[in-house]
Amino acid sequence: MIAGRLPSTALPHTFPGIALFSSNSDRVFSGSLAEPAAFAPLDSILLAVGILLSAGLFFWRFAPILRTILRSKKDPNYKSSTIGKRVWTFLSEVLCQSKVIRQRPLPGLAHAFVFWGFLAFALVSLNHVALGFGHGFLSTTGVAGRFYFFFAAAWAMLVAISITGLFIRRFFVRPLWLGEKLSYESGVIALLIFLLMVSYLAAFLVQDGGTAARLLWWTHTLTLLIFLPLIPHTKHLHLVLSPVTVFLKKPGFAQIPPLTGDEDFGLVAGKDLTQLTSLQTYSCVECGRCTEHCPAATTGKILNPKEIILGLRTYLNKFGPHSDVPLLTESRIASPDNPPAKYLSMEAAFECTTCGSCEFQCPVGIQHVPVLVGLRRGATNTGAWEDDYGTKLFLALEKNGNALGLSALERDKFIQKQAFPIFDGTQEYCLWLGCMGSYDPKGREIIADFARVMQHLGTSFGVLKKEKCTGDPARRLGNDLVFQNLAETGLKSFEAAKVKKIVTICPHCVRTIATDWREFGIAPEIEHHSEFMARHRDRLPRQNCESIVYHDPCYLGRYRDVYEEPRSVVKQAGTLVEAPRSHERSFCCGAGGGLAFLGEEKGERVSHVRARELAGTGAEVVGTACPFCNTMFRDALPAVSEHPPQLLDIAQLTARALSASQPEANPPPEPGGAQ
Amino acid sequence: MKIVVAIKQVPERDAPLRIAANGRWIEEGDLTYTINEPDAYALEEALQLREKQGAGEVIVVSAGPERVQSTLREALAKGADRAIHIECDDLDSRDTLGVARILAEAIKTESPDLILTGLQSDDLGLGQTGVVLAELLGIPHATIIMQIEPTTGGLKVKRELEDGWFQHVEMPVPALLTIQSGGNKLRYATLMGIKKAKTKELKTVPAAAAAVSPAVSLEHVYLPEKQKKTEMLAGSPQEIAAKIVEKLKFEVRVI
Amino acid sequence: MSGVLVVVEQRGGAWNRMSFETVAAGQQLAAKLGLECSAAVLALSAASLLPELSTKKLHKFFAVEHELLAQYTADGYVASLEQLIRSEQPAFVLFPHTYQVRDYAPALATRFQQVLISDVIAFRASGDSGSPIFVRQLMQGKLNADYRQTGPGPCFVSIQAGTFRADTLENGNAPTETFTPQLSADQIRTKPGEPFRESSQTVDLSAASVIVSVGRGIGEQDNLPLVEELAEVLGAELAASRPICDNGWLPMDRQVGSSGQTVSPKLYVAVGISGAIQHLVGMKGSKAVLAINKDENAPIFEIADYGVVGDLFEIVPELTRAVRATKASS
Repeated sequence: MIAGRLPSTALPHTFPGIALFSSNSDRVFSGSLAEPAAFAPLDSILLAVGILLSAGLFFWRFAPILRTILRSKKDPNYKSSTIGKRVWTFLSEVLCQSKVIRQRPLPGLAHAFVFWGFLAFALVSLNHVALGFGHGFLSTTGVAGRFYFFFAAAWAMLVAISITGLFIRRFFVRPLWLGEKLSYESGVIALLIFLLMVSYLAAFLVQDGGTAARLLWWTHTLTLLIFLPLIPHTKHLHLVLSPVTVFLKKPGFAQIPPLTGDEDFGLVAGKDLTQLTSLQTYSCVECGRCTEHCPAATTGKILNPKEIILGLRTYLNKFGPHSDVPLLTESRIASPDNPPAKYLSMEAAFECTTCGSCEFQCPVGIQHVPVLVGLRRGATNTGAWEDDYGTKLFLALEKNGNALGLSALERDKFIQKQAFPIFDGTQEYCLWLGCMGSYDPKGREIIADFARVMQHLGTSFGVLKKEKCTGDPARRLGNDLVFQNLAETGLKSFEAAKVKKIVTICPHCVRTIATDWREFGIAPEIEHHSEFMARHRDRLPRQNCESIVYHDPCYLGRYRDVYEEPRSVVKQAGTLVEAPRSHERSFCCGAGGGLAFLGEEKGERVSHVRARELAGTGAEVVGTACPFCNTMFRDALPAVSEHPPQLLDIAQLTARALSASQPEANPPPEPGGAQ
Repeated sequence: MKIVVAIKQVPERDAPLRIAANGRWIEEGDLTYTINEPDAYALEEALQLREKQGAGEVIVVSAGPERVQSTLREALAKGADRAIHIECDDLDSRDTLGVARILAEAIKTESPDLILTGLQSDDLGLGQTGVVLAELLGIPHATIIMQIEPTTGGLKVKRELEDGWFQHVEMPVPALLTIQSGGNKLRYATLMGIKKAKTKELKTVPAAAAAVSPAVSLEHVYLPEKQKKTEMLAGSPQEIAAKIVEKLKFEVRVI
Repeated sequence: MSGVLVVVEQRGGAWNRMSFETVAAGQQLAAKLGLECSAAVLALSAASLLPELSTKKLHKFFAVEHELLAQYTADGYVASLEQLIRSEQPAFVLFPHTYQVRDYAPALATRFQQVLISDVIAFRASGDSGSPIFVRQLMQGKLNADYRQTGPGPCFVSIQAGTFRADTLENGNAPTETFTPQLSADQIRTKPGEPFRESSQTVDLSAASVIVSVGRGIGEQDNLPLVEELAEVLGAELAASRPICDNGWLPMDRQVGSSGQTVSPKLYVAVGISGAIQHLVGMKGSKAVLAINKDENAPIFEIADYGVVGDLFEIVPELTRAVRATKASS
């Protein structure tokens, strides 16, 4: 028997307010949740009306959103991941809040507490409402009930503290990535959550059955009833949508879907947005993690991944999912009441390097890269994108079969000079040069050094007589015509030459051949030279010269999940140093997405920002694993540093060690890169 | 305005040059073909004229074997409205006059307001078909044109002269113009264009006149003696300077 | 039908210098075939032009004069020359391969059911005493081709600039004959305007015929005058690779490369440029490339026609001196 508890039936049925001023002597911590005395039918009716009203308002606002999502284009190619993978992702990302916490630990944990608190409160809230109809099912006296109420109370405290912390962060600390405009709705929601927790906790401190208990009960109820309809009006819709969004995410990272049929040119207008994409735009919580890590957004360009997604949401709200109004605007004039005019513009869409940082860490499962590339497709496939450099690139790919517009005879000359064997079906590997390996002086050095490594290992390889570009820049810039031609030509040439295994120095080639070409056929297996060298590292020489800071290429790291193999190669050549942003947080060099072939950048150069970061580690060498990164840093390092570190690909690092153990070989390549 | 653009399909620029057995042309086996680049500029000019006027028709014409149809389709994909293929399998036995004759016959029936061609072809580079065509059709012409402006009486065009000089010329329509490369930015073929091109008309007509004996003939092709090789110049700075001056004067001919 | 007729070009009363090369060609062709060589010029009045040609060895010099020839028009020139050719019946008609000739000569040839053999770089007598072989280039200079006239009638040929040297002209005497063609105003269908030059603020490197380009090898901004002088003395436009423009040493519109301008001059002088791919793609269309770099492995040497491995601070001043001296003496 718990002290101070009066039998509930003994109290008169009085209207709550009157009893407020009656003296209540037993303000002793009852040790359990105080519940109001039994409810009058009027109370229950009020509650029922309140619930109906609240739910009604909720659906009044939610139904159109649901309808918009469902009325969007059905994606004939939609295939979700395997059920096992989906469940795992759900457990990890939703239940364990892994992405929320990993990239922003403290605020992430605070949010996780709020989320887990909500889960913990599930039964409490149900019981709370049931109580109002006289059918509370959790007993405040029973062991299970009491344990549960205390359990929930502990969570309530954590939630209250967390939500206060988050409120302070948003309104007083004001981190950049949450946006410049203060979000008042967030403040309101925070207050409501706080109120919910406080009204729950306070119920432990008041007399059971007393007026305070009743007051607290109604406070808690009203807060709930106000909270519910606010959900679809604010970004807190993610409470409902994001678990679904995470669960329904398409497999693969930065996966670009095939076009469907003769009328599909990409994301031209609202009617091209699929159901999944619409769902994703409504799930955005505006946390800004995507923008925080975007190379374009952080160097003064217009592109802001968050605003792209929100811009699409605004578009859907304004024009609906069947609209013909173009998604991209030409206008660059920012207008406070029309942000999409600035952010959802052609200029912004073509500032993306497709590094994937946005998609990688979105905690609610939004897949930004297919959206960005989809928008570019809509512009390029219809000829709406008129850019001198882009046109030059596409014409070069059409006429010369390489992105640089050079004569194929130049590649022939290089192969002859290096005396590379031609692939004839008898060798184990086909060494794919790629555009950079075939024509760029630095790319050629990397190929030559890697060839030496393969020769040292006794691996048989040959190069194709003719190579055309894999089509990566065309693919990322949205030109499906050029990409399809190149992919089909490439697949045919591999088949004709009977190639079984491919190894190459460029992560873009690896990605494009292994994944993007699947739309048109199956390519032979392909691996990156870091994976190859890592496998054979026991037979490769060791050196321990210098400190080497390794830069993770976007298309090898985030895209292919290859982080340790290149590091193991680097460690054979020197001491490995990590950049402040490494592994999946690695900051783009700025060349991806076809941007290496486009004109001048606005704002600060992405390559300079990263070069500064790498040089700032004090390492003597910058180790790269991608010829594009190499080319970008070649100009950027001397520009940001008085005494720039040496710039070497992992193949060059390894070959250098080979030379050291075989003195007659070539001297090491030149430092930096004199222009 | 009804504009006809005469285009030629030529071997790709990087085509491997192997002399055929009879020594009169190159081996055609491995060749890939594409639109003659100067004609691509003529097509671009025609498309821009139509866009500026908001009305009109652009018709592309090409003479040759069946393979020229792919180049005609590319032109349709870039925006031309119709294509005419003059079927002719013996182009190499005709000279410029012979080719211009069959072009003239096919184009006459269209009665265009304007005919555009590129300055010259990437393969033979004679640079005359346009002018000869104008003469055969009896219409005025102008060459090396950078800009075209329709006027009430006909056209006002900007013609390039040597050494950075230009000249405006006025002329009535119908007329023929050969277009200077690089005046406009070429557009790229888009997926949308290719899909639309499938429904556009490509008409095949036989060559109107049989080949008669040509006035001039290409007897023999061969590789020039001097291949491109880097000539390294050595010596003292004064000696090097003197060698360079000689090269610039007599080989490069800029002094 | 005999004789070689050379059509020489004038504009505004001044000779087009290439014409003299063509007269030399005509004299040589005539000598080879045992024919007489004559010349003709079209103008309102050839009086001011006569003195220079009258001292050359020519059978006759025709001054084709008419008021409708005051300005060049295709119709006027074609009609006049058609009449002259029908009257004099030369076996060969030679032209300098100029923009003007490309505008009218094909139409003129058509009037005779002939085809102009254009942009010839050499000729030789054919062994079987038929018509001579004229050599021209195909495939943007990658192949040579032998052309020959296979029918009766005058043979029309235009000669590429620089193929023959004007200083090989034979001197002698050229009696003048005036020829007045029958022309009426309604025959002239085009109305030409006055030639003009464009005034543009931005540098259009794509129009330059000689470019001197500077790269990182120059070291410091203060060293630029070295290269500027060379450019001046060559009558060249100054250009640069990207790092130079990035440093602000030269304006961005002088940048040659993938993010700058694409150029195809007759001569590209690359001073202290290593030849990174982004630069190469901007100048690979140059007809001739002279590269000066102290690194013998610099990629620029792969595509250069003439290469100098040396210190640009020594080579460039010497070169400037030598060019200046040559120009002064000619």
